[in-house]
Amino acid sequence: MDLFVIIYGLNAHFMGGVEDNEPPSKRVKASSRELKGVSNGLKEPATYSFGASMARPLASQGDNEVTGSKGVKKVEFVRIIAEALYSLGYSKTGACLEEESGIPFQSPPVSIFIQQVLDGNWDGSIATLHKIGIMDESIIKSASFIILQQKFFELLDREKLMEALKTLRTEISPLSINSDRVRELSFFILSPKFRITGVSGQQSVKLKARSEILEELQNLLPPTVMIPDRRLLQLVEQALDLQREACLFHNSDVGETSLFTDHQCGRDQIPSQTIQILQEHQDEVWYLQFSQNGKYLVSSSSDNSAIIWEVGSDGKVSLKHRLIGHRRPVSSISWSPDDDQILTCGIEEVVRRWDVTSGACLHVYEKGLLGLVSCSWSPDGKCVFSGLTDKSIIIWNLDGKEMECLKGQKTIKNSDLQITSDGKLIITMCKETTILLIDRESRCERCIEEQQMIVSFTLSRDNKCLLVSLVNEELHLWNIENHIRLVAKYKGHKRSRFIVNACFGGVEQAFIASGSEDSQVYIWHRGPGELIETLEGHSGAVNCVSWNPVNPHMLASASDDRSIRIWGLKQLRSKQKGKGKSVSNNGVHYCNGATI
Amino acid sequence: MGRLFLVALEAKIYSCKYCKTHLALCDDIVSKSFHCRHGKAYLFSKVANVTIGVKEDRMMMTGLHTVAGIFCVKCGSIVGWTYETAHEKNQKYKEGKSVLERFKLSGPDGSSYWVSHEAQIIRSEQEV
Repeated sequence: MDLFVIIYGLNAHFMGGVEDNEPPSKRVKASSRELKGVSNGLKEPATYSFGASMARPLASQGDNEVTGSKGVKKVEFVRIIAEALYSLGYSKTGACLEEESGIPFQSPPVSIFIQQVLDGNWDGSIATLHKIGIMDESIIKSASFIILQQKFFELLDREKLMEALKTLRTEISPLSINSDRVRELSFFILSPKFRITGVSGQQSVKLKARSEILEELQNLLPPTVMIPDRRLLQLVEQALDLQREACLFHNSDVGETSLFTDHQCGRDQIPSQTIQILQEHQDEVWYLQFSQNGKYLVSSSSDNSAIIWEVGSDGKVSLKHRLIGHRRPVSSISWSPDDDQILTCGIEEVVRRWDVTSGACLHVYEKGLLGLVSCSWSPDGKCVFSGLTDKSIIIWNLDGKEMECLKGQKTIKNSDLQITSDGKLIITMCKETTILLIDRESRCERCIEEQQMIVSFTLSRDNKCLLVSLVNEELHLWNIENHIRLVAKYKGHKRSRFIVNACFGGVEQAFIASGSEDSQVYIWHRGPGELIETLEGHSGAVNCVSWNPVNPHMLASASDDRSIRIWGLKQLRSKQKGKGKSVSNNGVHYCNGATI
Repeated sequence: MGRLFLVALEAKIYSCKYCKTHLALCDDIVSKSFHCRHGKAYLFSKVANVTIGVKEDRMMMTGLHTVAGIFCVKCGSIVGWTYETAHEKNQKYKEGKSVLERFKLSGPDGSSYWVSHEAQIIRSEQEV
């Protein structure tokens, strides 16, 4: 609807303000005179110039007339508006525009050509094809091939074998292109079972609709001859994409973009205010992670325990279960694919599997005298992966039966362990400066080499990118899809002694967040790499951050000050009143019973 | 403090005398003839698990140097110093390398070093 209003507005603009209530005939006459006068400051139509593959002249006035200040050619502009009107179904208005502007949407030969293809007048369409004015011979041949191939199939469909053969020999063959395809076509004549229903795996010989053929031709012919469908809409969508990409703080849903103003989110879309402080751990909080469905949060502490928290529908986080049992601090946690179970790994100790609903420990995984250093679920939920102190990676089934052990220098004691959600790659650090990507099927290994030692890494949700935290206070973003390449660097946070974790987050994971030894949370925009927020509040190093995958406005941070902070959008002070009120420069916040 | 990022070294290791954190490898010793207030000190081409303090200019027996103290990442005790810049041409080889005081280290065989009486009398830092 927006699109139509804009086009109508543009239409009126062109006509230089001619009254709407004048009878049509008068309007036409007036407008043709008006047009010559409305020249946008340029001279009268210049001499017409012809590109190598352009179509015949369409407009009576010069094709070089421009509108706006960026060289947009008026003839092209009007033509794509006409195309937009036709695809929206407003053919009367489209025809009206053509008449008023004197700019035909398509040259007459092209209109005839389109009609001939849709009518199945193949010979006619070939003849017209030569009259359209395409300079490139190979395009004419390819287009002829498509048309004649369709003619061939339609003849076969009507069981007219002799005519089909004649077409193949006298019309298709002489084009001298696609000789492999020509040979395949001859098989179709010879063998009845290769016909229309299509048996031979690769060649699906379903008779294509004529509109499909038209689309193929449209893609083949130069766009100046046949304007691509919905071209104006495509341009508008490109503009919206560019605006969204440029929007630094964009963290809201796509549906909120309007065509009437440029898209620009305010800083208020990033979580930047402490909403809640959770103080249930007895010692430093080292790690935390939201579940995939955003309903739970798990945190672990140097007090050897882990806590499962529940995120209420009102956004308030409350304690659900304490997971007691480990004898070392838990350094690695993994949510099961459907978020109903959790794996925790004590540092160089054992891996425990817990049920989220009951909080019960379902299984303990260990390997003799070796210590376990990391843990991860397989994406199908059936296996448990774990790194060992002897540098190998072990795979158990849920009952603890050892399925496989990847020996050799596969993982080091400090290493994280991640499996891509499609189950294809195992990601681990095999050396202090090297990340190893192991393909589970082919056993093929790729590497990411860094110059500095790696502290930790995180995988993006779409499995395409790896965020690597280094000792020199830099975060590196690597694309691991096909060619491994460095995409971006993020700097500003402080790290000199501890393991500090970073994460992806926000709508479409467009942001990067990291903890820091200066007690703040740092947030960057992923694309430009620009630091956009530092969140103050903690009174100790922030060791880990996690962004709620389902609620882009909720961020959690874990700190040496023994607390977890939940961050949300800045709200007006008057809205926040509750129990446990206390004053701080972050506004009023809830506390779990204790006063600050 | 948070979860310490500690690098594990392999082979013959010198560790922090107080907390056993790995600091350097025997193979990385460049020179054993350095001296400090507490006696012997070794020059290493690289060290691990240390944090670097504030840079300062110091006049030593061999000339003016810009150095910074280095501290064990775990227990925070000072274990030596690192050379940032050497202002004399023939001392340039020290740049980027670090000196660990033998007194602060536990050797590869677990042995410690005890300062001799004469060394304690020396007040200023010296090197050869």
